[in-house]
Amino acid sequence: MKSKIQSAVFTALIFAGSILYANSQDANTILKNMDDVMYAPKDMTGKHTITLIDKNGKQEIRKANIKQKGTDKRIIRFTSPASQAGISVLSLPDDVMYLYLPAFGKERRISASVKNQNFAGTDFSYDDMESIPYSDKYTPKLIKSEGNVFVLELTPKGRSDYSRIIVNVNKTNYYPELMEYYDRGNKKIKVAEYTFKKSGNYWNAAEIEMTNLKKNHKTKMQMSDVKYDTGLTDDEFTVRKLKL
Amino acid sequence: MKRIYYSLLMCLLIVTPGMYDAKDGLRAQNHDENKIKLSGVLITDQRFLLKDKNDWAWNENRLTLKLDKKITATSKFYSEVWLRNIGLPNITTSSDLYNKGIVDPYSLEIRQAYVHLYGFITRNLDVTIGRQRIAWGTADKLNPTDNLNPYDIEDILDFGRHRGSDAINLNYYFNYNFSMQGVFIPFFQTANMPVGIFSNALNPGMELPPGMVLKEHSDTILMPRYSLGRSSVSALKFKGFTKGIDFSLSYVWGIDGLPFNIRNTFFPVDTIGGISINSQLSFIRAHIIGFDLATSLAGIGFWAEAAIFVPEKNIVMTTDLSALYPASPVPVTQDSLILDKTKPYLKFIAGGDYFFADGSYLNIQYMHGFIHERGNKNLNDYFFLRYEKKFFNEKLKVAPIGGGFIVADWNEIKDNYALVYMPEIAYKATDNAEIIISAGIFEGKGDNMFANLKDYNMFIFKFNYSF
Repeated sequence: MKSKIQSAVFTALIFAGSILYANSQDANTILKNMDDVMYAPKDMTGKHTITLIDKNGKQEIRKANIKQKGTDKRIIRFTSPASQAGISVLSLPDDVMYLYLPAFGKERRISASVKNQNFAGTDFSYDDMESIPYSDKYTPKLIKSEGNVFVLELTPKGRSDYSRIIVNVNKTNYYPELMEYYDRGNKKIKVAEYTFKKSGNYWNAAEIEMTNLKKNHKTKMQMSDVKYDTGLTDDEFTVRKLKL
Repeated sequence: MKRIYYSLLMCLLIVTPGMYDAKDGLRAQNHDENKIKLSGVLITDQRFLLKDKNDWAWNENRLTLKLDKKITATSKFYSEVWLRNIGLPNITTSSDLYNKGIVDPYSLEIRQAYVHLYGFITRNLDVTIGRQRIAWGTADKLNPTDNLNPYDIEDILDFGRHRGSDAINLNYYFNYNFSMQGVFIPFFQTANMPVGIFSNALNPGMELPPGMVLKEHSDTILMPRYSLGRSSVSALKFKGFTKGIDFSLSYVWGIDGLPFNIRNTFFPVDTIGGISINSQLSFIRAHIIGFDLATSLAGIGFWAEAAIFVPEKNIVMTTDLSALYPASPVPVTQDSLILDKTKPYLKFIAGGDYFFADGSYLNIQYMHGFIHERGNKNLNDYFFLRYEKKFFNEKLKVAPIGGGFIVADWNEIKDNYALVYMPEIAYKATDNAEIIISAGIFEGKGDNMFANLKDYNMFIFKFNYSF
């Protein structure tokens, strides 16, 4: 009997401690911590290997070089397949985006509505690819704390194709482990699984696997040759550089 | 001049790599980036008419080869070559069978071959020298301000295609948002005209006096003198970005790449009204002031572009009938003013596009004045629309709506209009292989380019393979 009481007290203490811990870590703080982990580097360069996997398991591979500065400057340059090599996308603050198509020999300003499109045939939308901190775009709510993750529900502050996103945030290191995207009809449409690895001082999303539940199609995005804080200047994120 | 130009090119090629190695030690770090990159596209473009015996309307097989070499971290070489067979063999005699150039005609075109020097002399200056495409304008494919390179209108359905020009192109960047571009083209190049079934699409109908029948027609082209003042083209462009808007102001001291008919001389060839006409064609110099902008508002992309063309002198067409009236003591001629230098004409285009959440895309443009139209009275109105949707992770693209409506005379639309319908289905069989099936349906009345194509409704098949 005594041992039963002891274990009940022990369980209650753990449970209470968990709630206290969770409460002390309110949703905003957790999301802010997640943003701090995801967007900690001042700048980043790396290579993307993007694998598209259809419902029959057939794979197509795309490769791109990426440079990023802060959370709002990014340039992606495709290197393969041959039909896409040289195509580059420059994203700047305030939804200013340029597309460079080598065949036309000039950059083209693209309308912000492209953000709701899939990025280069992947299961990521341009919106998903943005680096704008989640705390800027979404209002978080702590749903529960279980195992090694906080489960947050994010609802968009502004216009979005998603009604909400459920995020599992690692309790120890605050990186996201899983994101579930719901459409405006509150139907789960996509799931992203993250694999983070420590690279120097930063946690790096070494692999993200996005599954489109509607199409039964997957995109695996792997990062390699990642370098952080190499001192990229704003020069790198200009239309001038887009054409090089 | 040509010698100076090529000497300068050679000097730059020799000096620049060394200069950067010595000055900045900026050799490209990444070994992969320094490799010569050879890529290309194999294209076959087959079209046949929808009427009669389904004659071939177009046969083009093209191998595009692109060579890209990063010389140093701040310089690169790029070239693009077309090796192709276009048209159908024209075999008329047995001797033609001995001529491989007739039996299996292939041609080689250097579309581009240039060196780009980034941060040349000063870190804010880029120089591109050699044969290059200098594409201006923010509109989609149809750009009134894109007047530096000669038009390549052999395939008039490939809107906006230009050849490269041998040019020196300087871009100075004041900061991230503002820049100035200067272009010098030593030798003016003419446009190349439509071929095959399109060859008469741009030719206006010729009205002859009653009783005359045209038996022969010949023409003579008067080219500008090859001198610095007569044959060169220069241009300046100021480009900026402010308050979310990309804009530019430009000026071109150019030569119109399409010739004007400045003299028609009539000769009698028989006694029953048969005549021959010799036309003299000439190219005219014009000042072109351009403006363009592009922005995105509420998710919708907007663009607008305008160019004012100011001919350097009046263009007068003289009709010489003296040979028909040999007894006349004075030459029998009649002058018509085609372009008045005091009356500039304005071509413009405005449009927008939107990407819908379901993966579809809408693009609308309104244009006043097509590529070949000159003078305020001759500019037609064009409304273009394209709606497309992608399926199966962008493997299949269907454009059920694509084409345009053209009005040549608003007061008599019924007799002066054209309709163009070009639906398209494109399928990416693999990442690098694309099959495109399309059609070109033309309907119209009056003297306008697309109405002239109404007898050439066609089925189009294209296959592209990139490597």
